[in-house]
Amino acid sequence: MSATSTVASDPAADAPDRRREQPPRRRRRPRLPYALLVPAVAVILVAVGYPVYWQVVTSLQEFGLAQQFGAPPTFVGLDNYARLFMDPSLWAVVVRSLLFCLVNAGLTVGIGVALALLMNAVGRVPRLVLQVALLLAWAMPMVAAVTVFKWLFDWRSGVVNWLLVAIGLDQYQGYSWLAQPMTFFLVASLVVVWMSVPFVALSVFAALTQVSDEVLEAAAIDGAGPWQRFWGIILPMVRPVISIVLLLQIIWDLRVFAQIRILQDAGAPIDQTNLLGNYIYELGLGRQDFAGASAVSIFVLLLTVLLSWPYVRSLLKEDEA
Amino acid sequence: MKRNRLVVASVASTITLAMALTACSSGSDAPADDESTSADGTPEPADITLWLAGPDTPDALRDYLTSTFEEENPGSTLTIEQQEWPDLVTSLTTALPDAENTPDVTEIGNTQSPTFTTVGAFRDLTPLYEELGGDALLPSFVEVGMAEGKNYSLPYYFGSRYMFYRKDIWTAAGLEAPTTLSEFSDAVKELHTDSQSGFAIGGQDWRNGISWVFANDGELAVEEDGKWTSTLSDANTIKGLEQWQDVFEGASNVPASAMDVAYWDFLNDGTDGEAPEAATIMAPNWARWSIGDLTTNDDGEEVRDGMVDDSKYDIFGLPGVDGGLAPVFAGGSNIGISAQSQHPELAENLLRIIFSEEYQTMLGENGLGPANSDYVSSLGDDKFAQTMIDTAAVSQLTPAAPGWAAVEGASLYEQLFQAIAEGGDVTEIAAEYDEKITPMLNNG
Repeated sequence: MSATSTVASDPAADAPDRRREQPPRRRRRPRLPYALLVPAVAVILVAVGYPVYWQVVTSLQEFGLAQQFGAPPTFVGLDNYARLFMDPSLWAVVVRSLLFCLVNAGLTVGIGVALALLMNAVGRVPRLVLQVALLLAWAMPMVAAVTVFKWLFDWRSGVVNWLLVAIGLDQYQGYSWLAQPMTFFLVASLVVVWMSVPFVALSVFAALTQVSDEVLEAAAIDGAGPWQRFWGIILPMVRPVISIVLLLQIIWDLRVFAQIRILQDAGAPIDQTNLLGNYIYELGLGRQDFAGASAVSIFVLLLTVLLSWPYVRSLLKEDEA
Repeated sequence: MKRNRLVVASVASTITLAMALTACSSGSDAPADDESTSADGTPEPADITLWLAGPDTPDALRDYLTSTFEEENPGSTLTIEQQEWPDLVTSLTTALPDAENTPDVTEIGNTQSPTFTTVGAFRDLTPLYEELGGDALLPSFVEVGMAEGKNYSLPYYFGSRYMFYRKDIWTAAGLEAPTTLSEFSDAVKELHTDSQSGFAIGGQDWRNGISWVFANDGELAVEEDGKWTSTLSDANTIKGLEQWQDVFEGASNVPASAMDVAYWDFLNDGTDGEAPEAATIMAPNWARWSIGDLTTNDDGEEVRDGMVDDSKYDIFGLPGVDGGLAPVFAGGSNIGISAQSQHPELAENLLRIIFSEEYQTMLGENGLGPANSDYVSSLGDDKFAQTMIDTAAVSQLTPAAPGWAAVEGASLYEQLFQAIAEGGDVTEIAAEYDEKITPMLNNG
C-alpha cells in the first residue's frame, strides 16, 4: 500500500485518537469497540484495499491492452501522472466536475432543506403526500430516471419541446438540448438534483422533528420572528445533519457517471461533457489506457479526500466539544 | 444531543472513508462477469459459450446453432449470450484474458478485430481455414482478421448500407434517382424544407459519413513501414469531408450531435398521415422491414409492409463521384475462438456448423450476407438483394490499425464529424484530429 491509503484512512484513525485524549477519568481503554471494528475493516481491506493497491501499482506502469493480455508491464514511475497533468483537457474536466459537483450539491441541499421545512409546516395529509412522492423519486432506478429525462428532452418527440412550442416559443421546434454543453448540464443537473433531493429532504425532516417545540415556543414568546427562529435556533440544531448530507452530496456528485453517460449516448459533444468518471472510463475502457485511467482515479481519490476534509474536521471538532 | 453528534461524526467519517476509497474503483471495476458460464471443469462433454453482438442474428438461427451443436456433440451444450454493440469491446477486454469467464467463441465487429488479434487474444485458426471455406471466404474480412500471416478471426456475415427514399416525394419534385454524388447532393438539398430533411443524417454519424471520403478516393489512415498515420488532412479526404459537410448543412434537420438515430422512422408517414420527416435516408439493408405502409402480420400485430408500394418507397446505392457506386462502409462481423477457451475442440466444432452450407444459407435468407461467397445467392435476387450485393462489392473497411478500437472507444470520429457538421473549417479540424489520432493508431 502507499501514501494514498494512509491519507485516506486518516479520518478514521483520528477519531479514536482524539477520543483517547478525552479526560482520563472516564474509564480504562476498552477492547470491545476495537474487536467490533474488525469485520468492517476486513471488508474494506478485501473489497477496497486490493483494487486500490492494484490501481496504485498500475498507475506507475505502462499498462495497455497488450499487458491486459499477458505481456509483462514495465515500471515507468510517475510518467503517467506527468503525461496526464500536462494535458489541458484533464484540467478542463477537473474544473467542470468540481463546478458540477458544488453547484448540484448546493442546489440539492438547498431544495432539500426547503422541502423539509415545508413538510414540517404542513398538516398530516399533505405531508404524507409529499413523503410518498419523495420516496417514489428516491426509489426510482437511476437508469430508468435518466432515460425518462432523456425522452422528456428529446429533440424530436420530447414533451418539453412540445410544451415550449405550444406556448408560442417556436425556436424550440426540434431544439436539441443535449447538443450544447450548457443545456446538456442543465438537463443532467435536473436529473441529479431530482434524484438526490429526497434523501436530503427526508434526513433533514427527521432532524427537524427532534427540535423541541418548547424552545421554539419560548423564542416566539420572547419575540423572535420566523426567520430569527430559523437562523438562530432550528438551523444550529440540525446543522450536524445538514453537514453530513452536504458532504455526502459533494462526494456523490463528484462521482456521477452513469447519468452523464446515458445522456451522452443520446448524442452530445462528448469531449465537452465528460466529467471525471466518464473521463476515466473513456481513458481506461475506451482507449485501453489502463495505467492512465488508474492515475486519474488516484487523483480523484485525493480530490475527494481533500474536498471532504474540512467537513470531517469540523465534525470531529464538534465531537470534542 | 451530544451523543447523537458523536454517532453522527463517526458515521460520517466512516462513510467518507468508504466513499473516498470506492470513488476510485469505478474506473477499473470490471462489469460483473457471468458466473453461469464456467464449465465446471468437466473434461470432454462441456458447456461452451458463444457471444453474439446485438440482435442481428435472428432467433431461428440461434436455435439452429444450439440444437445442431448439441446433436453433433452428445453431452455438450451451447449457451448463446447476447452482448450489446456499444459495450462489446469493453466486455471482451475484460473477459477474453480470463480463462474462467471467457466466451469460447465470440462475434466481433470487423473493424474491432485487429485490436484483439494483435495482442494474441484469439486462437490461431489457420489450420481450419481451408476446411471452413478457404478462398471462398470474404477476402477483406479475412484480411482484417489476420495478424503476422495467421488467421485469428474469420468473417461471420457482411452487411451493407444504401439509400432508402420516398419516390413519391422525389417524383413530385421532378427528381429521379441520382447517378453521381453531386446530383445526389443537389437533389436532397432541393428537397429540404424546415419540416422535412432532404437527406436525414445526424452530425456524429460517421459510419455513414465516411462514404463521402471513400467516394473521393480519400483514406482515413495509411500504414507505412508498419507505422500508421491518420490522413484526414489528405487532399482527397478533405474534399470528401467538405462534400459531406455541404450535404449535412444543406439537407438535414437532424442535430449535429445526433448519431444512431432510427432514420427509418423518418421515411414513414406520420401517425395521422402527416408528411414524412425525411425524403431520403442511408441505412443498413435490414432497415427495409421498418419502412413502408402499415399492415397486419399473421399474429395480428401492426407492422410495416417492407416497402411493398414501389411508387412510394424505393432504394438506390449511393452514387460515386463520376457515376457508378460510391464505396460505403462495410458493415459486418468476424468470429473467432478465444485463446483462453478451455474447450477449443468443441469451439472448433461450433465453427464447422457456422461455416456449413446450411447455416450460411440461413444467414442469406435472413438478409445477412454469408461469409462464404458460394452461398451469396441465398440472399435472393430482388432489388434489395442486388443493391446489397453491389454496394457490398465496392465497400471499404476502416483502417486495420491495432489502435483503431481505441479511436472508436474514445468517440473521436463522432467528435470529428460533429465539429464538421457544426460548420467548422474542415482543414483545421482535420489537422487537429490527425494529431490526436495518429499516436493512438499504433498503440496495441
